[in-house]
Amino acid sequence: MSPSGLTRRKLLSMAAVAAVGLALPACSGTSADTITTIRLQQNKPEVVEYFNALIKDFESKNADIRVVQDFNAGNWVPGLIRDNPADVVTNAYSVTVADFTRKGIFADLSDLPAAAMADPKALELIKSFGQYQDSELSALPFSLAAAGVIYNKALFAQHGVDVPTTWSEFLGACTTFQAAGLTPIYGTFKDSWTLGQPYGYASGGTVDLADFFSRMPLTAEDLKSDPTVSFSSDFKIATDKFLKILDFMQKDAGSRSYTDGNAAFAKGGAAMYMQGPWALSELTTINPDLKVGTFALPMSEDPTETKTQVTLDMTFSIVRSTPRLEAAKRFVSYLMDPAVVNAYNTKFSAFSPLKEATVNANPQISGLQPLITSGKYYLNVTNYFPPAITLNNYFQTLALNRNDKAFLTTLDDAWHRVATRNA
Amino acid sequence: MTTPLTELQPELHGPAQLDVPRPTKIRRMNREGYKINWWMTALMLVASLTILVPLYFTISMALKSPEQAASGTGFAWPTDPQWGNFAQAFEMTNYPAAFMSTAFITVISVLGALGASSLVAYAIVRNWDRKFFRLSYIYLLSAMFVPFPVVILPLIKQTAMFGIDNPLGVAFIHIVGGISFNSLLFIAFLKSIPIELEEAARLDGASTWQTFRKVIFPLLAPMSATVGIFAFLGSWNDFLLPQMLIADPALQTLPVVQQLFQGQFNTNYSLAFSSYLMALAPTLLVYLFAQRWIMSGVMRGAVK
Repeated sequence: MSPSGLTRRKLLSMAAVAAVGLALPACSGTSADTITTIRLQQNKPEVVEYFNALIKDFESKNADIRVVQDFNAGNWVPGLIRDNPADVVTNAYSVTVADFTRKGIFADLSDLPAAAMADPKALELIKSFGQYQDSELSALPFSLAAAGVIYNKALFAQHGVDVPTTWSEFLGACTTFQAAGLTPIYGTFKDSWTLGQPYGYASGGTVDLADFFSRMPLTAEDLKSDPTVSFSSDFKIATDKFLKILDFMQKDAGSRSYTDGNAAFAKGGAAMYMQGPWALSELTTINPDLKVGTFALPMSEDPTETKTQVTLDMTFSIVRSTPRLEAAKRFVSYLMDPAVVNAYNTKFSAFSPLKEATVNANPQISGLQPLITSGKYYLNVTNYFPPAITLNNYFQTLALNRNDKAFLTTLDDAWHRVATRNA
Repeated sequence: MTTPLTELQPELHGPAQLDVPRPTKIRRMNREGYKINWWMTALMLVASLTILVPLYFTISMALKSPEQAASGTGFAWPTDPQWGNFAQAFEMTNYPAAFMSTAFITVISVLGALGASSLVAYAIVRNWDRKFFRLSYIYLLSAMFVPFPVVILPLIKQTAMFGIDNPLGVAFIHIVGGISFNSLLFIAFLKSIPIELEEAARLDGASTWQTFRKVIFPLLAPMSATVGIFAFLGSWNDFLLPQMLIADPALQTLPVVQQLFQGQFNTNYSLAFSSYLMALAPTLLVYLFAQRWIMSGVMRGAVK
């Protein structure tokens, strides 16, 4: 009860709190002078462990550099705000990332040896979103995820169906399965993003997407010149074919999610499944005996016109403002080594975007390899849309009410609305 | 000295409760005292399922192999319990570091919320006749109308400038962010504490600080429990602030590192759930040990 006892206890507890408070932040500043520590912002949780192994290998070969992997994607923008962003960033390259590129956040990588090794077609896709000062190369492609129609080989053989090479053959295959009482394609509209796959195939096969989106107005200034380009005029065929594809999906597709779809398809519930390579590991986890292949959906009557859809699933960029540019470049050069690129892409069912790419022999996706090798690929249409346009919701609405006209008008309106507020 | 005062409490609250007659409540309490209300018991049993079923899912998923998690129904009990899931999740999240960081934030936030808010409330209530304090009360309340996402970018910038883009900064923002709601609770409670108690302490020669520390703060205990519980849950489970404010990935908290199990297209459910289970274990343990105290604290908050 004496005042002195009170003070002592209070002082002690305050000292303890202060000590912990000083000790914790102090842990972060232990790097030695001779060692450069760089931070890698790596936003793909499923490959965190793989990258840890890569970092270990890199550090054993480069004793003067330490790499810290940050997989908290939410730390990227705050890092920019506090002028302390990660040195190296991985991105699935899309219009959202290109926004940073156009503002000059990333360093020019065109002088790295890796830039000369990359497939020009893949570099062209990156550049198609816009370059800083119209000349710089802000990202290097590390992995191409090619998506097509995943098909159940056993069911195709059982019903005597060959892999379709034209649009009418594809419709024929669907009709055959339907007549046999089997669901031709498994639909999962409940997860609206899954509709981006069929719409991606339908639009990528009927519209030159890179050209189309380069003509679309991006800013209020562009809108003033009254552009005649619109979704309503160019995407009519794509939308009709999309609805045609949906006709071959099961009746309850509206209430099925991505995980439902994986489970149903893995157990032979449908002949085809429109998903990217990320679904393959899920499918084989559920049913290890499942034999699947992937083919690019033909959208015309000419088999040579068929192209496959890709996403720039992983690209590397270096932040322009980093004081550790040399170390960052060495790390990126290590990652872009053909051996590293090929090993990663083989393991994660993707394709190498290098000129000297090894052929991916994985039977699940090898059907797309010839198209990748010959450069016949286009980016998924969803990559061109800024997040301000809730594209997936519009897909879902279209799938349920089948009003193609309203869908295209909505897209045009949404695009113009976003362009109006962009200076 | 504190014990007799705490025992005095029911009597102290007598007059305050008289203002608001609650005949229905009293009648029901009497009936419950004599016989079991089976309808209500059944209803509560059903209601308890809202906690037990998710908990069952968490535990059973945590023990499943990836194959079983992907194929079987959710309700199936794991045929071959995978205790290794916990070890793997423990290693992948670097659990001890993340746990320490989360615990550090939580301890500071709870202590800070209790200390800062009760002091603010005491100052405002005892100076109610002064305009400055009445205005500061309104000022604090108005903070509750500012949606948090609006201020997140300036906060990131400011914490970086002050060098607290780390767990300490998160704890600090938790305290400051909670001060309006927590003071509101304390102020409402403090108004029911008679001024005569303080006058008695003053007559015995207590300073303002001693009055607060020896008389007022112990009397605030029930409300402190409520505020403490809110502060604990709020900072233990917080995702947004640590995600945005902590610059160094090595100091990240449990809710944020657990993103690791959730890819864009693939979620590793069994590892995710074993990790969730380990993250909620401390909360669960605290609850089990402090159950009675927590219940009384929550009830006190509800009535006041």
